[in-house]
Amino acid sequence: MNLKTVDTAGSNSMHAQPDTHPDPQVRPYLDIHEQGREALPGERVEWHANWRHGCLQRFADQGFPTLRDEEWRYTSVRPILSKRFAPAEDSGLMPDSSAYRIEGIAHTLVFVDGIMQGPAAPLGMDAGIRVDSISRVLENDPERIRPYLGKSAEERAHGFSLMNNALYRDGVLVEIGQGVRSDAPLELLFVSRTDAALILPRILIVARNNSVARIVERHVSETGTSSLTSGVGELYLEPGAHLDYHLVESQSDSAFQVSGNWAYLSRDSRLDFHTTTVGGALVRNDLVIDMQEPGAQCNLMGAYCLSGRQHVDNFTTVVHSAPHCSSNEHYKGVLDRRSRAVFHGRIRVAPDAQQTDAQQANNTLLLSPDAEIDTKPQLEIYANDVKCSHGATIGNLDEQAMFYLKSRGIDGDKARLMLIRAFVDEVLEAVGPDSVQQHVKALMDSKLSRLPISTKSG
Amino acid sequence: MLTIENLRASVEGKEILNGISLEVQAGEVHAVMGPNGSGKSTLANVLAGRDEYEVTGGTVRFKGQDLLDLEPEIRAREGLFLAFQYPVEIPGVSNVHMLKAALNTLRKHRGEEELDAVSFLRLVKEKAALVGMKQEFLYRSVNQGFSGGEKKRNEILQMSLFEPSLSVLDETDSGLDIDALKIVAEGVNSLRSPDRAMLVVTHYQRLLEYIVPDYVHVLAHGRIIRSGGKELAHELEDRGYGWIEQHARTA
Repeated sequence: MNLKTVDTAGSNSMHAQPDTHPDPQVRPYLDIHEQGREALPGERVEWHANWRHGCLQRFADQGFPTLRDEEWRYTSVRPILSKRFAPAEDSGLMPDSSAYRIEGIAHTLVFVDGIMQGPAAPLGMDAGIRVDSISRVLENDPERIRPYLGKSAEERAHGFSLMNNALYRDGVLVEIGQGVRSDAPLELLFVSRTDAALILPRILIVARNNSVARIVERHVSETGTSSLTSGVGELYLEPGAHLDYHLVESQSDSAFQVSGNWAYLSRDSRLDFHTTTVGGALVRNDLVIDMQEPGAQCNLMGAYCLSGRQHVDNFTTVVHSAPHCSSNEHYKGVLDRRSRAVFHGRIRVAPDAQQTDAQQANNTLLLSPDAEIDTKPQLEIYANDVKCSHGATIGNLDEQAMFYLKSRGIDGDKARLMLIRAFVDEVLEAVGPDSVQQHVKALMDSKLSRLPISTKSG
Repeated sequence: MLTIENLRASVEGKEILNGISLEVQAGEVHAVMGPNGSGKSTLANVLAGRDEYEVTGGTVRFKGQDLLDLEPEIRAREGLFLAFQYPVEIPGVSNVHMLKAALNTLRKHRGEEELDAVSFLRLVKEKAALVGMKQEFLYRSVNQGFSGGEKKRNEILQMSLFEPSLSVLDETDSGLDIDALKIVAEGVNSLRSPDRAMLVVTHYQRLLEYIVPDYVHVLAHGRIIRSGGKELAHELEDRGYGWIEQHARTA
């Protein structure tokens, strides 16, 4: 694997100057750093502190993205910037996790407003899977994560991920031991409890050689809280590792979420990454997959169902850095009312990444004339022996199918739900563990049953 | 059971049905024959309630109700079934799921208990065997990737499952080989009973050798130009539609 020790960008002597920072939207977050930096984990670890401060400086310099940034053309973060978010006090109270329990998932780590609750290692976990709090590792054995933590900041970092780097307070390290094969999903459950909380999840996964594991990263809101979650996940797959990762976003409809996941795939490793989004006022999911060595493969699947004025932007970047890698990407969305979705599929094939197989599809079902999808494939191919395809479809419900079902006595509303579910099921059925598949289907059903569906017909 | 009086209908402003009157009693099988473009399929689709067809005049009463006033799903629940000429493919909706949802809706409407998964499966497998449909087709998406014959069998499977009081078969015989045709006919014949009726729309006399009708109506230019017994079908087969149209014009 092509791992470098994280560059010590910047140094302790570099300080952003919060009091005089000209950008009123950035200043409050610089203040948070200034006031709380003593409590931040890893401040006494030189490489980590330097890296943090480098990121803080970059954040101060570049601020939050605007519509003028090419990668944010269709997503305005103004609704986020018009509000003030701050880290919540740790109430020390565990949420009633039974309310969020998924049948069939035995191992759950709970984070309240981004802070890990209870002991890191869930009882009864496979002994080959080590789970630790990142703050604890930074205290006891920082070298263990030095090759991994913060690598994502090297490229494609925007204001939100830089802010996470600079301000994150806690996180989780999951290390899947060499050759460990675990079918039982490990769930990372993020509960937002406090209104206006700034939640900065930090996830680091290292899947050792030939390991097989399943992770569920799930975001829920305790009550209709309006929080800002700005998460960074870094996923390292060593040769032959297979990681099945599920990002499930079912937070309240007034929550904001900017989620960035960076994955580094080495020889013959495989990543299945599923994103399901039903909640959130404004959600941006950045997913960057770097296939660094031959034989790696990734499957990126997304399903989203939006209503009201929800806005969801899935920005995916798949980098074929080595030959003989394959990527398959399929995102499907159902948009009602004035909701809006963005799908950006960037595929980069490096000059020597011959025998690349890269497929991409984005299909949208528009249920309302006021809903909008902006879908943009972006292929940058520098090799000549590649198989690449991309396709986008946008459509309405099939009236012929509607009539067929109704002519069998099936109620119009039910027929409509059957057709919509059938549309997203293509992606949901690919969700590996039954427990998670049942859960995302139930989320979808619940969302669909609440849709007013603006285009009533028949 | 069904009384059609002076029914007129148009598609995209073009008049297709020009005043059709037809009376179907319980226990009867009526065949509606006619050349292409005579309005046969329009009649079938208007009865089922497809909204591309605009009814411009006339009345249709079904079991004492104003049929044209009912939504398609209500017509189905009241006991009307259309076997489609071109059954629709519905990717992602499994056949068995659709059949169960439909059957239980109909049963509920009739005041019968809904079937649980086990009893439903037993019933649907039995019916599938009856129409010669392989069980794997139950688990595929509705009609997706089915051959023409398999689609038609799926229509007849639904008919025998739903046990409608009035079945309208829209050119169910078109595109079928003789073996499939026999199976379809057997399915239809097994449903014949004193309290059910059928309207069999067809271009060819061939089907009527297996489903023997009580009455035959010949449709041309959106009107019934001749009605008779089953012999009329044979006469048509021998002499062609040209004969009867000419006959109608001079009459």
